[in-house]
Amino acid sequence: MSLNSVFADSIEKNSTRRRTKSPNRLAFERFMHNKLALISVIILLLITVMSIAAPLITHQSAWQTSLMQTDLPPSSTHLLGTDSEGIDLFARDLYGGRADLLIGFVDTIITMAIGIVLGGLAGYYSGWVDAVVMRICDFMFNFPFILLIIVIVAIFNVSNIWILILVMGFTSWPGITRLVRGLFLTIRESEYVLAAQISGASVWRIIFKHLLPNSLGPLVVNATLLMAGMIGAEAALAVVGFGVKPPSPSWGNILAGALNFLTLQTEPWVWVPPAALITLTILCINFIGDGLRDAFDPSFEK
Amino acid sequence: MGTYILRRLLGMIPMLFAITVFVFLMMHAAPGNAIESMLNPRIKDMAALQAQLIHQNGLDKPLPVQYVDWLGNFIRGDWGYSFAQGVPVRQLVLPALGNTLILAALAEVFILLIGVPLGIWQARRPYSLFDTSTSIVNIILFSIPYYIIAIFLIYFLAIKLHVFPSQNAVGTGPQAGSIVDHLYHALLPALSIALASSAVYSRYTRGSMLDVSRRDFTRTARAKGLTEGVVFRKHVFRNGMIPIVTQLGFDIGSLAGGAVILEGLFAYQGMGYITLQAATQRDYNVIMATSLIIAIGVLLGNLIADILYAVVDPRIRYQ
Repeated sequence: MSLNSVFADSIEKNSTRRRTKSPNRLAFERFMHNKLALISVIILLLITVMSIAAPLITHQSAWQTSLMQTDLPPSSTHLLGTDSEGIDLFARDLYGGRADLLIGFVDTIITMAIGIVLGGLAGYYSGWVDAVVMRICDFMFNFPFILLIIVIVAIFNVSNIWILILVMGFTSWPGITRLVRGLFLTIRESEYVLAAQISGASVWRIIFKHLLPNSLGPLVVNATLLMAGMIGAEAALAVVGFGVKPPSPSWGNILAGALNFLTLQTEPWVWVPPAALITLTILCINFIGDGLRDAFDPSFEK
Repeated sequence: MGTYILRRLLGMIPMLFAITVFVFLMMHAAPGNAIESMLNPRIKDMAALQAQLIHQNGLDKPLPVQYVDWLGNFIRGDWGYSFAQGVPVRQLVLPALGNTLILAALAEVFILLIGVPLGIWQARRPYSLFDTSTSIVNIILFSIPYYIIAIFLIYFLAIKLHVFPSQNAVGTGPQAGSIVDHLYHALLPALSIALASSAVYSRYTRGSMLDVSRRDFTRTARAKGLTEGVVFRKHVFRNGMIPIVTQLGFDIGSLAGGAVILEGLFAYQGMGYITLQAATQRDYNVIMATSLIIAIGVLLGNLIADILYAVVDPRIRYQ
């Protein structure tokens, strides 16, 4: 097709009021064609709705202990039996999702916000700002994420879920910061940023209106992977007793409660459901992340 | 090369300084102090006794002086006393460090034996049945958190089949403490780390091998009539392994710290386990020693990664 005919074609399209699709619109359409990712979205939504609407699904309490009904096997009243304190496990599995999904969601937002601001400044200014931010990142990388959280949680005696969320959010930003910096460093050199600078746009305007929208793809993909990581991290912390503290239910601490020889051996209904829920949630989020990656970056397709 | 390593080692000094200051200040920011938590609040003259103990332990000196004292003692090998365990911290940490190193080394061996060959096999026939099926298994393994893999391994191999122990770093009986005994106890936790990590490694290896096998020099090697085996050994494999070797170096450090959860789960007496124990008992001296050692481990791991990179990739020249 010659250049003229392309031009004529686009004029014709404009005259028939068919707008050209934006890259993000195209990405969305590609995502909608990815079956695996769509199924994952549906399952994830189902898990989310079930944990938010938990009181509508079960009448059992997720906190009420009952000494007469400890360690019961599954029955019609207790769908997944009861734990060693007589709390209904089906209810705990449902309500537990709230804590994990909340941590995953809020911590992703906190981490992304810190990462975009710090990484954005480092990538935009480079020079000494970049050097300082990157040295802080290097420094943070020396302390394994999980270990740092455990030490902080232990020292400051964190038992509130919101403080746990803050601790997790404020220790996990170096990776995203590095990513944002790298993305911005390359885009910064492009002509439209120069044009914006010349026309007198402020730093934040350039970061949020020019640099950020143009690195949306990798950021969204990494945000989903981060969310999966956060949910996994909560459960990991709970397994060793530093996550959400009982009696508040979380998938991690239900799992932690089952980690003794007898329960593992004889009562699979205690530990298999929370383990499956954690895995399923992380698997779905990872598939969604993969789908988003393919959608935003068509060159990634086979 | 020698000067490069020397320069990198010197360059680590500011970072080491920052790490020690951070660890020191964090412990001092902790509410309450070790003396307070040791004393029974009901004893007579509690305040006077507390003041005396604080003075004796030098806790009333200015912070910089305390820091220098602590650092000096640490370098001389006096890591303080574990109040909760009733032994010097060094006696607690050194065996734990050994256990963690055994675990990390075994995990790396598994990763290299499972992940890398799998990636190479996948890359030989990309998009074949073998490649796609193992890739799906990899995604699933990668998505199952390693502690859940560990719980299933404990369930099947330790509880159902009684093949491996589910607890402790050393066993009991005449064999206790021998190298075989150590490896036997480290096997399940190492396998739990390795299964998830090897999924990542095989993905890296596959991508890297595919990338190299499409390069011009590979085509040239084939075109001049080399056998497929020679092309693979001399051209594809050597170049494809460069990113993998670097990744391995980065993992050395993070393995030491990352195994915290697994050590807790298996009650494997390594660095992670004693840190967890100290954290629940608020045993500050132990936490300071372990977090410092782990941070230094990560720092050294990164250095090793950079050096390995220079060793395997002759194109990289550090001036």
